[in-house]
Amino acid sequence: MQSANVLLKKIVRSSVLPFAAQHGMKKDLFPLSRTLSLSLCLKQDNSGTPSEKLDLDAWKKVLKSGLQEEVSETVAEHKELSTLAAARETLEMWRLAGRSVPENISEEQLKTFMECPSKSAKKKYLKYLHLKELYKKNDKRKMDEKRERKLEAQKEASETDETKKNSLVCLWANAMDKAYSWRAAQAMIFGQPLVFDMSYEKDMSVREVANAVRQIVFSEGCNRRSVDPFHVHFCNLKDDSLYHKEFIKHYRGAWDKLLITVTDRCYTDIFPKDKLVYLTADSPKVMKTFDHDKIYIVGSMVDKSIKTGVSLARAKRLGLETAALPLEKYLLWNSGAKNLTLDQMMHILLTLKDTGDWKAALEFVPKRKYCGFVSKPVHELKKTLNLINTLKLGKRQEEVRRQFAKNYSKKLMQK
Amino acid sequence: VQPPEKPLQAEEWNRLRESFQSPEVFEEVMFNSMVRCNSPIDVAKSLLTHVAKSNGDIAYHLLLKYLALCVQQGQTSEIRDVYEIMKIRFRILESGAYNLLIKGLSNSDQWRMGLTLLEEVKKIMIPSRTNYESCIKAASRHQEMNLAFELYHEMLAKDVVPTLDVLQAFFDFTRGMKGAELQKELFGILLYLRDNQIYPHKTFMRSIKLWFESIPGGNWRGHLTNIKDSGQCPVCNHQLEDSELTEEEYNNLRERIIRDVIHGTDTFRKTSPQEFEAFQTFVENRLPFDIVIDGLNVSHIKPRRLQCENLFDAVNCLAKENARLLVLGRKHMLINSSNWKREVMKEMQNKADFFFAENISEDDAFLLYATLRSGKHCKFVTRDFLRDHKACLSDSLTRHLFRKWQLIYRVNSKKMFLSLFIQQPAFSYDCVVQTTGDTWHIPYKDFFEEKYSYQVPRKWLCIQQQ
Repeated sequence: MQSANVLLKKIVRSSVLPFAAQHGMKKDLFPLSRTLSLSLCLKQDNSGTPSEKLDLDAWKKVLKSGLQEEVSETVAEHKELSTLAAARETLEMWRLAGRSVPENISEEQLKTFMECPSKSAKKKYLKYLHLKELYKKNDKRKMDEKRERKLEAQKEASETDETKKNSLVCLWANAMDKAYSWRAAQAMIFGQPLVFDMSYEKDMSVREVANAVRQIVFSEGCNRRSVDPFHVHFCNLKDDSLYHKEFIKHYRGAWDKLLITVTDRCYTDIFPKDKLVYLTADSPKVMKTFDHDKIYIVGSMVDKSIKTGVSLARAKRLGLETAALPLEKYLLWNSGAKNLTLDQMMHILLTLKDTGDWKAALEFVPKRKYCGFVSKPVHELKKTLNLINTLKLGKRQEEVRRQFAKNYSKKLMQK
Repeated sequence: VQPPEKPLQAEEWNRLRESFQSPEVFEEVMFNSMVRCNSPIDVAKSLLTHVAKSNGDIAYHLLLKYLALCVQQGQTSEIRDVYEIMKIRFRILESGAYNLLIKGLSNSDQWRMGLTLLEEVKKIMIPSRTNYESCIKAASRHQEMNLAFELYHEMLAKDVVPTLDVLQAFFDFTRGMKGAELQKELFGILLYLRDNQIYPHKTFMRSIKLWFESIPGGNWRGHLTNIKDSGQCPVCNHQLEDSELTEEEYNNLRERIIRDVIHGTDTFRKTSPQEFEAFQTFVENRLPFDIVIDGLNVSHIKPRRLQCENLFDAVNCLAKENARLLVLGRKHMLINSSNWKREVMKEMQNKADFFFAENISEDDAFLLYATLRSGKHCKFVTRDFLRDHKACLSDSLTRHLFRKWQLIYRVNSKKMFLSLFIQQPAFSYDCVVQTTGDTWHIPYKDFFEEKYSYQVPRKWLCIQQQ
């Protein structure tokens, strides 16, 4: 019996089922055979001959099926959606449609989104959030990987090695901090003042203020780590201003312990006017050397829209001397605005203070903005520049010039 | 990737997908190229079926792309089906889907559904101008002019700028219709063109002409023409509107320029209060001038010559007609240098008034002020388009006034050798759509997009009632 069953199964598998069915099967085998035959038929139906017609609308059935139950719910909910919730839903749909939209959005961000004045502003804001989210996610992933690697390394280390004997190990960071603080404290007493002018809040958007504060935090950091720091002053900083809020966000508790001078007074009240120099890219005067007796002022402004002459206007109003970095003199400028970020400014000023070397200082100008350092006399450079220009514009300009010369001589002859 | 020409079986899709370098985005890329190549809809369907069978679901963005393909080919029943499915699957749709649906349905006999969709869009955002365009066109195609105008007024109320296509559609679809109300609406559109200084392009102009001529019992006749420099229409001898700004407009413009351009957010940005005051008293004592010259700009006209010589030629040339000149410059011009010779400067100062601003001040602002203060007859000479100053003006109406004023009062100095200044004939007539009741004059452009915004069209459509 058993052997017969095995045989039968084999027969069934090799799809000679009709034959087996014809030849008087045992009753208990029937259900099995029936299901088998059914599945067989299905299989044939689906993929048998390629010439057979495809059900092109099958996808509609798939999508509609299994959803009928949910429909009633959604319809009921359909009506009252608050505007915020509706916006959230729209965002979700945009995300599904593949636009750059953040996955998670907070209530506050959603409100900012709704308050954007135009469609393009909305789009821009969403893209910004989206990118921010991406960066955050990437950072988190990297952190996790790092942690895992660290754990593995630790495991290996614990297996192989006992503790090392080293007296400096754990206190390194702490000791550095102390040394930096000591230097900064020295600078508070003896250092050359450097002023950040915090009076541009009304000229900036919220995001520009946030960016400016970030740049200032960077500059403060690199000042602290330098050999001979400036005595940094934040002037015109009002207590409840946006700047102040952003600073607190960045520094938290450390804000009150920073070794810098923060004041809501103007620099003209603190320092003698004739010592102040306002650094601004719009200044007609170009800085020749770094003067250790002067007090330089940097405007804490990030200007994404084009507002020329804002800081120059400020210096004019207060009757201060102004200066611009000699970028043209030392660099072959390529593209980009001549206003630098605040941390770049800080790096440049620190290097100038320590070395007085313009070349070393201007290394901190972003490389994309210039082609190289000026090495030849200026008139030679101009020649090459002209050459480049004529090559770029083709020979047209030259031709035009020649034409002029020709006409000119003709006119002279006529006279 | 090249989409296949015939619907494929599941295995064939699988094979294709595996041969593709990044299989995760295979469907998306495939749909994109289907839309690009305008593939037969059955191919897309077979891919959808394949996706649905293997995943049990179809992602929203794929549906969207399929919808785009359907809209492209005008497959109304498919569009409806996709809409049904989307409505079941998702609580709310986003603007991309609505755009496609409205566009697709408006072009079909189910255009009324497009209208209901428009209502839905309004609940979550302001519909785009193309949304309105589709609906308005659909409504007017089906002779529902009241509905079309209702939508038109609605979009204007929402500050959505209508496309020229929409405006043209009104003229196209009401050709030969009768009705005072209708006529009023269409005249309204022409006045909209006038108020916003929009010039119709050639085909649009033709629609307008045909519409006028088709008005039953209207007896309108249209002619294409060029207006004479004097501002007279050669067809009907009608004198076009004067281009002069009205007293009110002029004063308004002057106030705004002083407020927005010279002072702006901070007077120190362009000048300083002391300097501006000094300039004001200077101008006040010597008013009125006939021509104000932008000294530095003019001095660069011919790069081969000394700057002071250029300026000297200009001053000499303009001083002939006994005109009162004001030359604006900067203080550095007074320092004897290779480009600015002291003797030449002295001689010029006998022929014209000079004002020298600080080297870091903007002399253009002074140019505008002096010209406007002198009165309507005063002109100014510069090659500068003053775009940055126009941009400082805070609202578009004033910017339009500025442009109009600039077009009239700017003496354009061409770069001609030895014949220094050829004054471009300033238009004495105003280049906008205008009517007297029984005539219409409509300036039009030859092409849909013309390159320069400062150029005004020279061709006109003259329509008169006989």
